[in-house]
Amino acid sequence: MIELRDNELVFRFPEVHRDAVLSVNFQRTLRIPDDGTAHFLPPGLGSFPLHHVDDYRETTPSKWAVHGGVFFPMHQSEATWLDFEGDYPMAVKVGAGKINAVTGRQWRNRLAKLQDYLVTPDQPWLDGFNVRKGMIRQFVAMPLGEGYTAEEQLTGKAEHGGIQLAVYPMKASLYEEMINRRGSICEEAGYPIMASYSQATQEMGLAPGGLMRQEIYEDHYGIDTWETEAFSRCFVHILNSVAFFNVTGQSPPLRPPTAWEYTKAGLPWFDYFDAELTALEGAKELARLESVEVMEGRRGGLPMPTIREALVRRIGRDRVREGAF
Amino acid sequence: MTYGSYIREARERRYGEDRSFSVRKVAQRVGVEPAYLSKIERDLAPPPSEATTRRIAEELSEDADLLLAMSGKVSGDLQRIILSRPLLFAELIRQLRDAPDQAILRIVREVRDGAW
Repeated sequence: MIELRDNELVFRFPEVHRDAVLSVNFQRTLRIPDDGTAHFLPPGLGSFPLHHVDDYRETTPSKWAVHGGVFFPMHQSEATWLDFEGDYPMAVKVGAGKINAVTGRQWRNRLAKLQDYLVTPDQPWLDGFNVRKGMIRQFVAMPLGEGYTAEEQLTGKAEHGGIQLAVYPMKASLYEEMINRRGSICEEAGYPIMASYSQATQEMGLAPGGLMRQEIYEDHYGIDTWETEAFSRCFVHILNSVAFFNVTGQSPPLRPPTAWEYTKAGLPWFDYFDAELTALEGAKELARLESVEVMEGRRGGLPMPTIREALVRRIGRDRVREGAF
Repeated sequence: MTYGSYIREARERRYGEDRSFSVRKVAQRVGVEPAYLSKIERDLAPPPSEATTRRIAEELSEDADLLLAMSGKVSGDLQRIILSRPLLFAELIRQLRDAPDQAILRIVREVRDGAW
């Protein structure tokens, strides 16, 4: 079952184990430039407000009622990262427009032997598409239908948009064995808002942004670890910020600062490293994607200012990645 | 376990890993006198207000609803929910009194998964 609580999706599997809980929230963040540099991890600036699609059936696109799930607002060109919290090991599939963010392949509900999922809590965050070993391209929101999103670049269609999640808990017997072995694991920007919108441009999808250093870790447990019959999935729609006000009557969060403003203010960037885990190779399909900035450049857009992160905090597990802008 | 002993145990557990969780420093961050916090921990003073309990819960990474319940209080937001439909919620809570956790979780509003 999935509960919406304080802007977090809480996945629970009480039928598997009482500890089988994973919370997922979508963090507001800075958009990094695509300037040929691999940037460090930007901060979390608070979570996006999540709403049940069912509460706004009259004002959201009709196909959303078929998908179910939740939605949140993003400004055009705003970036996000996924924040996973929970000690119980889970396999998590992440899609953007039903393109798998780890492999670049079309969405399938089942886990694939060629790893197409993340493992939490090893993987505390996901900031983008897995383009190279140790490198991702940032998740950047763009209107569906303008050709920027990963979905449109790979399939030629603007059909789904949004983010898709499927979560599989570890088998209870293996979890109990693990706990017994360890004692108890529990102890242990200034981009313009669209001036106008149409039905077609209310919906947003995720497009690849600048390059960032982030490893997607290999599943060291093995695919047979996961309870494949007891998975939960959720369609997370993204609504343009202007449309969000019209749909809900509520103001979306303010635009975040630009990466340049944040860096100039001397605020920290982050680097996460876990020497015990091995990084997955990048996905060839995703490596071919063009970034929003490159595509905008071809359409006459100006490049973002280059940044050089002066203050980088190296962090490990249990450390908070939070900005203070 | 009493409210006082629960928060003392939680604070001391954190103090074992981080010396900033002394009575004096926690009291400072929560905004009360160290002597008052010490009395609360030893059950020599009654549990504090809801606002202070919430600050203690946040400081010690404990659940505010649990601490409020231990102090014999119901949080303000829950009171408002119950008062909006008192008969319905009183009946609901009585009905659920002996239900197992799993049954109660079933009535939590779920995020619906559709066809996609």
